Amino acid sequence: MTELLVALIVAAPTIAGLVAWFADDRRASRLAGGGLVTALAAGLLLAARVFVEGPLRAFGGQVVVDALGAYVVVLVLAVAAIAVAGSPGHLAHERAAGLLRPHDTGRYYALLLLFAAGLAAVPLLDNLGLVWIGIEATTIVSALLVGFARTPAAIEAAWKYLILGSIGIGFALLGTLLLYASSVGALGETSDALDWTRLMEIAPRLDPGLVRLAFLFALAGYGTKAGLVPFHTWLPDAHSQAPSPISALLSGAALAVALYALARFHLVTAAALGSAFSSTLLVVFGLLSLAVALPFIVAQGDIKRLLAYSSIEHLGLATLALGFGGHLALLGLSLHLISHGLAKSTAFLAAGRLVAERGSRRIGRLAGSLARSPADGRALVVAALVLAGLPPSGVFAAEVAILLGGVQAGWGLAAGAAAAILALAVAGLLFHVMRVSVGPAGRPGPIPEPGPAAGRWAFLLGVPLTAVVVAGLWTPSPLAAVLEQVALVLGGGRG
Amino acid sequence: MSLDPRTASQIVDACAAAIVVLGIGLAATRSIGRSIWLVAIQSALTGVAALGVGLATGAGHLLIGGLLAIVVKGLVVPLVLGSILRRSAVRRERHPLIGPRTSLVAAVAIVFAASVAADGAFVGASVAASRGLPAAIAEVLTGLLIVMTRRKALSLIVGLLVFENGIALTAFSLTYGMPLVVELGVLFDLLIAVVVAWVYARRMLDVLGSTSTDRLRNLRG
Repeated sequence: MTELLVALIVAAPTIAGLVAWFADDRRASRLAGGGLVTALAAGLLLAARVFVEGPLRAFGGQVVVDALGAYVVVLVLAVAAIAVAGSPGHLAHERAAGLLRPHDTGRYYALLLLFAAGLAAVPLLDNLGLVWIGIEATTIVSALLVGFARTPAAIEAAWKYLILGSIGIGFALLGTLLLYASSVGALGETSDALDWTRLMEIAPRLDPGLVRLAFLFALAGYGTKAGLVPFHTWLPDAHSQAPSPISALLSGAALAVALYALARFHLVTAAALGSAFSSTLLVVFGLLSLAVALPFIVAQGDIKRLLAYSSIEHLGLATLALGFGGHLALLGLSLHLISHGLAKSTAFLAAGRLVAERGSRRIGRLAGSLARSPADGRALVVAALVLAGLPPSGVFAAEVAILLGGVQAGWGLAAGAAAAILALAVAGLLFHVMRVSVGPAGRPGPIPEPGPAAGRWAFLLGVPLTAVVVAGLWTPSPLAAVLEQVALVLGGGRG
Repeated sequence: MSLDPRTASQIVDACAAAIVVLGIGLAATRSIGRSIWLVAIQSALTGVAALGVGLATGAGHLLIGGLLAIVVKGLVVPLVLGSILRRSAVRRERHPLIGPRTSLVAAVAIVFAASVAADGAFVGASVAASRGLPAAIAEVLTGLLIVMTRRKALSLIVGLLVFENGIALTAFSLTYGMPLVVELGVLFDLLIAVVVAWVYARRMLDVLGSTSTDRLRNLRG
């Protein structure tokens, strides 16, 4: 049963993607939808079993799914489903603008599905070497998606992403190697020496010097993928130049997967050396990311870059929470991951539609969106308010939990500094929201409505946003139990 | 077939020395065609080093990994890069951020620093470790130096390959390499990454008319 579910999660999108490569427009989008819905259903079933029965093993121990892994899988597939559902509209606009070539639709869906399958595979794997391969593979596939538009700016963004991403991921490989070497003394040259479950068991016997070095390289490597400052420079370019549904997947899911890999390294390191070393580094880089993202958020003139810098801010906050440790902060982190994923992906889809309609990314040119494009305007405004961390929303509740948890765990100063930066970021985001929402509506857009019917579109944006807003008011007890278990794993326990 | 550990150790030493010398040459040359050749030989030598360790230890996965490294990194990847070079008008790295002489000095400094830093660092490591590791660290840093100071797309890919050779050598030096499935995955990923880089280098030619990354400086803020 576990085997079947795991196979469906990875194989359904992969096979659907490979077939979609050769399919015509209409079939490609149906295949993509079918593949992802299958994977998401399997992911939810698998997660349900993990949360009821505890960690599951499959394929001779190559696959291990604990609460954290299952949670990240569901997050990835949910965001991917949003991205797929938002794709027909995006592609219809590109086609109308003459930017698509005949076979592009099939290739777009194929790459999107392979990207999603890779991201979903990573949290299922026990072997950290395979985790690395999975993340590297998603980097390569998504580099093709970032430059899909073939404009000079898109090529520039994709090129930077490919080069910087390859170097970053190279450092992560060095970290993985060093961690492997650290276990040789305890385990010998065995093939399970890179399994994180095994490493957690024997952590006290790992070579401490090598573990320390391994974590530093993993932090630089997976930190590059997660967009941590100072390794973030590719992120605003890639996330803003990619097609909007891809931006949604990059910001909402790919960053979470990179953070997931970093979290596994942190857990092994903390188990081997005590938590002080890696926690301090995570807090420092988390705060640095928050601080550096702030001015770029406040002074931003490009709507998609604004959302990209907001992702750097939010991943900084998530890294900070991981470093704080402590049950409350980690509970906040669990809620934060899914709230940010859903809010950011809808924000990118809505922003992408407004940008397509106005023919400009400049925030000043999007003025009057509430009057002129009510569905997209409202969705973007609500999503931006949620991302700013205003109550009530899952993001707000998560931020409060993370900051209070930080104080509880003895990181009062860092929590205070983070609170101050977040408050300033709220002011900056509110200013941008004002500019987008009010103002003269101007002439109606040239291509307002190819793509899905308005009702379906409002549903697509409305459901995830409503979920995030409600999550700040009321947590149903099953969800609370899920968050508890995820926080437990993030704290080094067995979920 | 097996090899006695001393011979294996000599093979690895010789490869490591040659890899370092080639790395210095790579840092110093401006000709993109020559740098593709140099990195091809360097990559093949990492494969040979893996074969040496594999024969000495009987680690079958290192034999497979080494042979594949020779074929993929020493042959296929350079052929792909050569095909881009033939289409491109850019043959030389005309305006690197630092000139070839400074690069040469920097590369030599890196080698010295690496040998000092890695000297006796990991006493418990395996056969090849003693002298492979300084070379590995030097190659990782030389690769970074090339990526950071060059501007042509092909030069950047070459720099990435040097960086990756350093990582591969680290793998053989620290341990007997990683489990086979991981090594194969790494190699496959590398191949795909080079193909994607090739795709983008072609697009640069089509859309921007050049593979010089000078034209890729518009995204800021």
